[in-house]
Amino acid sequence: MSRFDADDDDVVVVVGSGAGGGTLANELCQRGIRTVVLEAGPHLTGKDYHNDEWQAFSQMAWTDPRTTSGSWRLATDFPTLPAWIVKAVGGTTTHWAGATPRFKEHEFRIRSTYSDIDGASLLDWPITLTELEPYYDQAEVKMGSSHLHGRPPLPANNNYKVFANGAERVGYRRYATGPYATNAEPYDDRPATVQDGFNFQGDKGGSKWSTLVAELPKAEKTGKLDLRPDSHAVQILHDTRGRATAVLYTDSEGTLRRQRARVVCVAGNSIETPRLLLLSASALFPAGLGNSSGQVGRNYMRHTTATVWGQYDQPVRMYRGETMAGCIQDESRLDTSRGFAGGYYMQTIALGPAFFASFVAPGTWGPDFTSHMDAYRDTAGMWIVGEDMPQADNRVTLNDGVLDQHGLPVANVHFDDHPNDVAMREHAQRQGQAVYEAVGAKRTIVTPPYPSTHNLGTCRMSERPVDGVVDRHGRAHDVPNLFVSDGSQFTSGAAANPTLTIVALAIRQAEYIAGEYRRQGA
Amino acid sequence: MTLLTDHDTVTLVRLLKMAYPHEAFPDGPYERTAQAVLAAVAGAPRQLAQLIQGLHDLDELREVPFAELDDDTALTVLRGIHEAAFFKNVRGVAVVALYDDHEVWDLLGYEGPSFDKGGYVDRGFNDLDWLPEPKISIEEASA
Repeated sequence: MSRFDADDDDVVVVVGSGAGGGTLANELCQRGIRTVVLEAGPHLTGKDYHNDEWQAFSQMAWTDPRTTSGSWRLATDFPTLPAWIVKAVGGTTTHWAGATPRFKEHEFRIRSTYSDIDGASLLDWPITLTELEPYYDQAEVKMGSSHLHGRPPLPANNNYKVFANGAERVGYRRYATGPYATNAEPYDDRPATVQDGFNFQGDKGGSKWSTLVAELPKAEKTGKLDLRPDSHAVQILHDTRGRATAVLYTDSEGTLRRQRARVVCVAGNSIETPRLLLLSASALFPAGLGNSSGQVGRNYMRHTTATVWGQYDQPVRMYRGETMAGCIQDESRLDTSRGFAGGYYMQTIALGPAFFASFVAPGTWGPDFTSHMDAYRDTAGMWIVGEDMPQADNRVTLNDGVLDQHGLPVANVHFDDHPNDVAMREHAQRQGQAVYEAVGAKRTIVTPPYPSTHNLGTCRMSERPVDGVVDRHGRAHDVPNLFVSDGSQFTSGAAANPTLTIVALAIRQAEYIAGEYRRQGA
Repeated sequence: MTLLTDHDTVTLVRLLKMAYPHEAFPDGPYERTAQAVLAAVAGAPRQLAQLIQGLHDLDELREVPFAELDDDTALTVLRGIHEAAFFKNVRGVAVVALYDDHEVWDLLGYEGPSFDKGGYVDRGFNDLDWLPEPKISIEEASA
């Protein structure tokens, strides 16, 4: 691993090593740009990971304190854990399942598509699907998305067999085992999956694409990467002209360090990214760095989600095999006749008994609860992921009353469900139950949202600086050498799992930053 | 843990069996879960105090001690105190500890870690045979 000097001011500093930061770093390194990656968490690898849900959660999850408010049920069920994301090298790509649907054309233009929806802060993206398509292609090739670019499909596992047969019988036609960024056969120096069922827990074998196993090792080979684990960014510094100059971070000993930078890219996921900008308030930027619009932290989206379980009188063993290698696309269509804007996907999901017990019906106990558990082996599961409405007051703010281990105010995550979110969730729950009932479920169970894995929108892209935080390349409207490189950029959430789009945007952003370097002479 | 008596532990185990009743489960998982509860409150004086009071209260709600109540009555008693802080604390620990118990995994039909055994690729990831083999790709022509 290369080590650059703290005073080297020609480097790009990337905060975060997940889908956005890890991909961006590799793409910059491949273009010859020296890049420092500050990762708050430790450098875990395959041998470190546990095939055990709670051990893995304790090892990987971002469990630094956070607070919640608002009417969403998570504020009741898991008030200090609004998000289920990772604090380790590779970020949440070490936890993600692997589903890689693209955004649809209309999902970049939700304001134009739906006009005005009461209570929602709809805005069109400043870019179109056509502009992003070449980068989607690159991202899918990079990630080895199944069914595409010559990659074979994953085989049907037990959970998928129930899901797909149910889909067929209710009349759905657009269902498959992907696209899914886990190898069905060896690809890109990574092995085929052994179907161990633990890809949420880091994926010991490395058959799943993550920045840990794919992007960062490639970046390291260029000699241009300086990856610093256990390095928690606490503030971005700027000069009198309002240009970012350095990042202050704590190292593993808790010592505050400074890395100078020519460009700073923030990719800390959509809670930590706005938190860092807000923590970087100064005389010149009193409301937070890059926040003249007041939009930093606003329009927080987390997808409309739910889980539906079907319990049968025969074994399913959903936990065997790839967790999310199953997707029904039919309900992702544009069709407001269903009573809501946006669409949703249904995707297979499996939990072990430890997590199933905590999430199937939070807070409940007694014979009804344990009857769910007794049928564990005979249970099939699906997750629902759909577009939620951006709302200005759904936002990440600093909670000055609660400090983390570094003495920094923690993020408060406020979220109220929009009536559109509720209508979609109820529709999706009914459809999910219908899928399982169509193949003979003796009982279906509807589970409320888990802590959010898809955190989006808190530094959104906008054509006009007044409407958002970053421009069409993810560059802050207010600070010309500050970029946002994660899902915080999303102007809308669409129905699709966000990782593919984060990766596509990171490739595109790297190309742009490299062009700027060349233009200005590096 | 001298503030809690053996009788309190008996009451706690009985509470866990009533809150999480599984006919197939022997005493072992419940006893281990009770120990997990006691370990969790050991470093939390407020929660320990609530547990001491709560277990004591349970014995006062009927003519006989909680541990001697029949199942239906015990469940009714628990429903009556389900908002009590101590009971919420106990459940918060128990729902994790009980279902993370490897004997419980066996009883529920879960096989635990699999990577070191080669995953399930040759051990039944696709052995469900009571439904037809579904298609795995979208046939665009028929879509």
